Amino acid sequence: MTLLEVVELRKSFPIRKGVLLRTAGEVRAVDGVSFQIKKGETLSLVGESGCGKTTVSRCIVRALKPTAGAIRFRVGDAEPMDIAMVPKRELKRLRRHMQMIFQDPFSSLNPRMAIGDIIGEPLLVNGMKSRAERRERVRELLELVQLPAAYMTRFPHACSGGQRQRVGIARALALHPSLIVADEPVSALDVSVQAQIVNLLLDLQDRLGLSYLFVAHDLSVVKHVSDRVAVMYVGKIVEIAATKSLFARPRHPYTEALLSAVPKPDPRLRAQRIILQGEVADPAHPPNGCYFHPRCPYAIERCRTEAPALAQMAPGHVASCHRAAELSLSGVAGAS
Amino acid sequence: MAEGGAARSAPVLAVRDLKTYFHQDEGVVRAVDGASLEVHAGRTLGIVGESGCGKSVTARSILRIVERPGRIEGGSILLARQNGSGVRETVDLALLAPTSHEMRAIRGRDIALIFQEPMTSLSAYYTVSNQIVEAIRQHSPLDKRAARRRAIELLAMVGIPRPERRIDEYPFQLSGGLRQRVMIAMALACEPRILIADEPTTALDVTTQAQILDLLRRLQRERGLAIILITHDMGVIAEMADEVVVMYLGRVVERGPVDQIFHAPKHPYTKALLRSIPSILATPRDRLTTVSGSIPHPYDRPPGCPFHPRCPDAIAGRCDRETPQMTTTPDGNAVSCFLYREAGAGSA
Repeated sequence: MTLLEVVELRKSFPIRKGVLLRTAGEVRAVDGVSFQIKKGETLSLVGESGCGKTTVSRCIVRALKPTAGAIRFRVGDAEPMDIAMVPKRELKRLRRHMQMIFQDPFSSLNPRMAIGDIIGEPLLVNGMKSRAERRERVRELLELVQLPAAYMTRFPHACSGGQRQRVGIARALALHPSLIVADEPVSALDVSVQAQIVNLLLDLQDRLGLSYLFVAHDLSVVKHVSDRVAVMYVGKIVEIAATKSLFARPRHPYTEALLSAVPKPDPRLRAQRIILQGEVADPAHPPNGCYFHPRCPYAIERCRTEAPALAQMAPGHVASCHRAAELSLSGVAGAS
Repeated sequence: MAEGGAARSAPVLAVRDLKTYFHQDEGVVRAVDGASLEVHAGRTLGIVGESGCGKSVTARSILRIVERPGRIEGGSILLARQNGSGVRETVDLALLAPTSHEMRAIRGRDIALIFQEPMTSLSAYYTVSNQIVEAIRQHSPLDKRAARRRAIELLAMVGIPRPERRIDEYPFQLSGGLRQRVMIAMALACEPRILIADEPTTALDVTTQAQILDLLRRLQRERGLAIILITHDMGVIAEMADEVVVMYLGRVVERGPVDQIFHAPKHPYTKALLRSIPSILATPRDRLTTVSGSIPHPYDRPPGCPFHPRCPDAIAGRCDRETPQMTTTPDGNAVSCFLYREAGAGSA
């Protein structure tokens, strides 16, 4: 069952200039993005800084108002409703079904509140007035994220980074959401702690049937958590596929370059890497044709003039590249 | 690969039993507590560890830029260099005053440093030209015009397109990757023999990271630079390092050639670290092996071996009481762990 369907989502920001702040142009941060997330599934959104992945996630939780497009979200067994244009005051009812986990567990928790109050706040705001009832639920949530109940009275500063991230997860789970939007949830953590949080997220998903939209730049972490992966470049999705298929046989040259650039934790695999020349295109002045063509080692004349559309390359595997069918791009081999 | 030979030459920098402590009201933080390492010309030493392991303080101690209340309490930092009259000598940097003329001459000319976030180390108020030209003139007799020409050469060398135009821009006009290239150009302005790179690519995207790592490798090849690469990223270590030092809570727990560290790790912490890293080579949705617990707060440093509370192989009554010393294993790794001390003592 599809939980979330994003259709042709667009978000542009005006570029203002001069003392009068006249609009001099616009940055198309998200430029026609479509994808679906099924119940119980993890879709990862990957790409380099400025590709628009965070903007997409913020539009979905409606921290930003999309410029155009539809975001169809299903609450329970009801028919999906389009939340892209729903006015702000009607959002509160919806928000309990989709929650966010943030990157930095140091700045996303109120330092003046005890852990129990931080986790209990969404309960209070959503009408659980009884203190005893809240306490019980907070205790359950702490257990769910594997923290001792005694942490209820602690303050964030007395917790390590990993413990704070667990608190952030417990708070996100307080209202039984069906979708969790996690923006770089483990990238600020040390490796040994990162592994614990990745496992916790996987366990919680199995236990609670959660769906995740996982926004990340670290492809190694993404490989561990995702069912499917969408790769973004300058505001557009260039490839979506099942994790295994995307990593083993990428169909877009940008995905190939990204995979090749990730340092492999084995000195025997020091291979010739694809080193992309130049830099990510400026979304305020994107190049003509395919946005990736100035850096693409396979670009032909057509790529300079005509923008490619997403096309199906294999079941469940779409990519937007004129040469996707003829190129044989290399991925990373699996360990097994 | 260039293994062997070069490693046996005399190191350009040798740190022996370095201790850097921070005395604070709440107690003493032993940020670096007896670390030893060697750096050789034309080779890369990787220092890897999680936060609080002392990797950055080690780098700052070498350059004598540890901030108060931090102090070097023991050990030596031996730099082999040619003095002003061309005579080879060995200087112990731990004995120099941080603000001395000699130490200031060593910074930049013998040892240079690049940081994680170039925006914090470049001034936002001056153009690239102002900053590099200043660095060049600080250490050489070139006049302004010659220094500017040299700066443009340097920017071209680190792969900045149209350097003669870019040089007059401000750092905020440059992308993260270009800023890091400017930092590297500045660091290399006085042709140092040792480059300390402290998380040089952590703030960058993967494709930019690949460009910068490639640049560091090329510069090393061309100039025989000795590089100390500090990172938490095992992937970057596997790509770049010849030798690896693994640190945990201020101590070197294992040291050895990169292939040994990845394929025959000895210390339980090194093993745990390698098992817990998410790998792009893994099967999708595979659970990661975790290290139990978390890194202790620096004030609650455990007695004995600092890793024992998290160690699956800890020997009760031993690891929680005594601190293991470095022992060399038959494979050539040096490891500080009682498991190997026993084995080493038996065979020796």
